[in-house]
Amino acid sequence: MANEAVKYVWEGAIPLQINLHKSEVASHPAPPPALVLAPRIGYLPLLIPLIKPYFKDSLPPGEDSIWFDYKGVPLKWYIPTGVLFDLLCAEPERPWNLTIHFRGYPTNILIPCEGEDSVKWNFVNSLKEAQYIINGNCKNVMNMSQSDQEDLWTSVMNGDLDAYTRLSPKLKMATIEDEFSRKASLSSPQSRQGVTETDGAGQNKTARIPVRLYVRSINQNFENLEDVPEMDTWDDISYLNRPVEFLREEGKCFTLRNAIESLLPEFIGDRAQTSGEERSKDGGTEEAEAEGLPEMGEIKLARIQGIEMKLEIPFSWVVNNLMNPEFYLHISVLVKAPQR
Amino acid sequence: MLSQEEKAMEAIKDALRALRKRHLLEEGAHAPAISALSRPILSQGSEWKEKTEKLETELQQCYKAQSRLSEQLVIEVAESRTSKAFLQEKELLIIDLQKDLTQTREECTRLQEELDDKTKTVDVLITENQEIRSQLEEMTNRAQKAESENKMLIDRWMLQKMQDAERLNEANDLYEEMLAKLKANGLESLARQQVDGIVRRNEDGTDHFVESTIPSTCGHRIHAHEGGCGSIIFEYNSGTLFTGGQDRAVKMWDTNSGTLIKSLYGSLGNILDLAVTHDNKSVIAASSSNNLFVWDVSSGRVRHTLTGHTDKVCAVDVSKFSSRHVVSAAYDRTIKLWDLHKGYCTNTVLFASNCNAICLSIDGLTVFSGHMDGNLRLWDIQTGKLLSEVAGHSSAVTSVSLSRNGNRILTSGRDNVHNVFDTRTLEICGTLRASGNRLASNWSRSCISPDDDYVAAGSADGTVHVWSLSNGNIVSVLKEQTSPILCCSWSGIGKPLASADKNGYVCTWT
Repeated sequence: MANEAVKYVWEGAIPLQINLHKSEVASHPAPPPALVLAPRIGYLPLLIPLIKPYFKDSLPPGEDSIWFDYKGVPLKWYIPTGVLFDLLCAEPERPWNLTIHFRGYPTNILIPCEGEDSVKWNFVNSLKEAQYIINGNCKNVMNMSQSDQEDLWTSVMNGDLDAYTRLSPKLKMATIEDEFSRKASLSSPQSRQGVTETDGAGQNKTARIPVRLYVRSINQNFENLEDVPEMDTWDDISYLNRPVEFLREEGKCFTLRNAIESLLPEFIGDRAQTSGEERSKDGGTEEAEAEGLPEMGEIKLARIQGIEMKLEIPFSWVVNNLMNPEFYLHISVLVKAPQR
Repeated sequence: MLSQEEKAMEAIKDALRALRKRHLLEEGAHAPAISALSRPILSQGSEWKEKTEKLETELQQCYKAQSRLSEQLVIEVAESRTSKAFLQEKELLIIDLQKDLTQTREECTRLQEELDDKTKTVDVLITENQEIRSQLEEMTNRAQKAESENKMLIDRWMLQKMQDAERLNEANDLYEEMLAKLKANGLESLARQQVDGIVRRNEDGTDHFVESTIPSTCGHRIHAHEGGCGSIIFEYNSGTLFTGGQDRAVKMWDTNSGTLIKSLYGSLGNILDLAVTHDNKSVIAASSSNNLFVWDVSSGRVRHTLTGHTDKVCAVDVSKFSSRHVVSAAYDRTIKLWDLHKGYCTNTVLFASNCNAICLSIDGLTVFSGHMDGNLRLWDIQTGKLLSEVAGHSSAVTSVSLSRNGNRILTSGRDNVHNVFDTRTLEICGTLRASGNRLASNWSRSCISPDDDYVAAGSADGTVHVWSLSNGNIVSVLKEQTSPILCCSWSGIGKPLASADKNGYVCTWT
């Protein structure tokens, strides 16, 4: 009985075209690329069981240590697939061409991944972090029974929204009251709203929202997204793990713009771009730089869950509908680096 | 301008639209195509591969398991075979054992039965034994009773006999008294005619008083008999010598020439003693065959065989008065009186100790007997009663011989002593001994010379000693024979003296 937006979020999947790296092709002819649908809220290592059969026979002898790369850049596996796509493909590439490696794990760049378990623990840790931020403590997650945790994870892995909806109230996460969600969808999502919180700070006045912000800075100016140069290294991306202080003021609505502003104050002065693409609720979308403030960087792009939104969109709606299952909001931002 | 709220709602709607668009672009467009691809087939193929791999490994494992199992099976089969063979062996063994068992059981029962039988027989035997013992006891008792009765009866019988003999003796005494009175009357007249005061009692015939010479030299050495010569006797008043020996023959020798005159055969045993009748017509021999034989000298035939003794007859004497009465002593402790005219025993005297030598008195009414207990006994012939007895020797008496005048009697004993008794008073008149003189046997006969002066006795070393009665000294020792002297006899005519020894040699001494 979740609302429409949440359904779209959970059903979202990116088509991937995965090629075996040519250095690892040990059969003739080379195997064709594998085509898989990767859930946006999922993670790349979870796809391995689907992909491996395609390339199993073509592998050279040895042990497998699987990793992905996009245009030469090894992909960090703990970032949800959707986020990676939004971040690295300025112009969405559908299907997204990735390369899979079975050998030569780049341990200097990527932390080791031991399969599904690593991903699961990463998820649970994130969940604890989020609860800490929201409730002030993570005892609810800790007190959750092992089987419930397993079931929660399984629902996430399988993209089973109904199961998740059933299990997530056990987390007793304090939520922001969001009347817009009520109004926006006909079938009122009861589970999301109404449960304000029992403990924790920011009952109605202030809440802290866990946010993960990925900022990709491009040095050169560009007009179209297609002209965005390819990313070479992860050094170009800065990562912020900073909660947003949600201020509930009477009469005033905390918008996405407000949120971004709080996160990226150096890009203050957001310009409402109506160039057809809605900005995702990142921190402050600053476009003031394009008007002649050369010191300031310019937020070119802010994506959440693969969509850009008007910055006037109430942040509470964004949080309640577009957050990931671990209660984190992932925002991908493309900025033009300030010329200093 | 729109209100903030309206702006907000507008923004939300935009967001929703964007989501829808994204959906259409991404999963909406690609999902069907991707799923329509041959992923299932490939994955299935890989699935099949995995399945086959799994099955192959399973199969390998199964093969391994099978090989293990078949190895085990082989082992088990071998083991079961050995077990079967073992079992068969054991079964056979069991059968054998059972057979043995039944056999032993049968044996056991059989043995048990036998044992029972034996026990029963033993019991029966025991009872029988006990019965027999009791019977034996009875019998012993009875026998004892019978013996004592027997003794009693014998004693009574002897008593009876003694009483009879006593009665007879009494009668004889009376008769004798009468005769004696008569004789006394007659003798008174005769006695006046005597010169030297010696009363000689003569009945029949005449007396030859011959001076005897002391023998010193051996006249003849005759091998008279094979074996020993136990008895020699001279004919009355002649030099003819009768010898009786172990060869059962009585021989008649002429001592002057030393030649054999005649031989008398017919005795069935050794000749132990000889007697010659007064008329020299008959010779009586006492034989070890419990008989006495009486020969007629002239014809040489056995006139009588006197039977009745139950043991060997060792001494015999004939009456000088009448040739009719013979008295014999045998080792059945009896003295028998025989009547030659009738030919059988007329009286029997019993005594306890065996008699070795016997001699009749001159008048033929008294018997002198020398016994094994050393006593000299006098018996009345007619009554068979013991007249008197005197202890003469400390051991057996071997010889009793009367002097020619009947007054003296010489007894010799195994104690190597020769006693001379007075026949009337039975007092010892003289005792003769010699150191070399040992009597050879229980029947070693000694003799008195016819003039009643000398006594001759043989000894075991083959010498003959001659003593003088008047002074008791040895007057002569005659050495010629080498074997023990059994008998001496002095001829009635004074010479020679004859001695016989155990080898059968007879020597005459003059």
